[in-house]
Amino acid sequence: MARSLLLIARQAPWSGLAAREALDIVLAGGAFDLPMAMLFLDDGVFQLAAAQQPAAVQQKDLTANLQALQLFGVEELYAAGRSLRERGLAEDALGLPVRLLDDAELTALLDRFDEVITL
Amino acid sequence: MATMKFTLALFSAPTSPASRRALRFAEAALAGGHEIVRIFFYQEGVHGASANLVTPQDEPDLARQWQDFITAHGLDGVVCIAAALRRGVLDGQEARRYARPAANVASGWALSGLGQLHEAVQQSDRLVCFGGP
Amino acid sequence: MATLHVLSHSPFADSRLDSCLVLMSVRDGLLLSGDAVYALQPGSAPHAALRTRPAGARLYALEEDVRARALSAGDDVELIDYPRFVELAGEFDRVNSWL
Repeated sequence: MARSLLLIARQAPWSGLAAREALDIVLAGGAFDLPMAMLFLDDGVFQLAAAQQPAAVQQKDLTANLQALQLFGVEELYAAGRSLRERGLAEDALGLPVRLLDDAELTALLDRFDEVITL
Repeated sequence: MATMKFTLALFSAPTSPASRRALRFAEAALAGGHEIVRIFFYQEGVHGASANLVTPQDEPDLARQWQDFITAHGLDGVVCIAAALRRGVLDGQEARRYARPAANVASGWALSGLGQLHEAVQQSDRLVCFGGP
Repeated sequence: MATLHVLSHSPFADSRLDSCLVLMSVRDGLLLSGDAVYALQPGSAPHAALRTRPAGARLYALEEDVRARALSAGDDVELIDYPRFVELAGEFDRVNSWL
């Protein structure tokens, strides 16, 4: 059976290449039909905010690539409820459908995957 | 412990302590009789493939140590091509393709896609990533 | 054993240690390397935070990084070298480096 990978994205979207290069790992894995999932944690949850305008800082729209995850067969998308609360982000302010996890669910999530990359 | 197959991924430049830790880990893995399926260089890790790094004589030359280690053990060192292009790490073929004046990838390194990371993970027991400071 | 978490950032002014402690289970381990070993500094907030890890979760530190910084580790910390690091990477089910 194929080895599964959880990518934990902790980077805000427009602070350099980090968020995009993290997402590229998942998209590449999805293109090979590998079991992949993403967890948005800490500042990574800012990637999910709706109606962002990256063109204002001459950035490509990462949100479009996030939307493409489903097309690449990456359907397991999670966000840490704690990270949203800490940052005053409401669930209905998110532009991407993700499942919010509480602390106990976060701990259990890692155990379901063969490998984890936290970026 | 049974023999393990490791994939290593390095996300930091050879000037970072993380690069040194990755190399020491890789050396210890081979010394312990384990296998390294592939070493994948991503993000700032791609600078390790540059042949243009000049390290003062009284400082450890991590890029050189990596190259010697990979060559000595015949390991599969793969540099992410997209990450490398963005950071000006080019082999001859890419330098010609993009009409850049010079190639700077040391011999022994392969520029390839992220699929190489995933393929290695599928063949390994463990992925171990090194990055940050 | 489940996940071996590896930290290398200084815990001062960085949230990785705090988030890692949230994610850790009793079967996990935490390896401090590089500047993350500053969490062993007695009397500091990160040092106190380490004590909040789940009971049973093992704590490791790279001996060379502890020695380089003239730090010392308590009895609850196993100081390790690279051969032991490799061994732990095999003993745990996965290695999660907080890059």
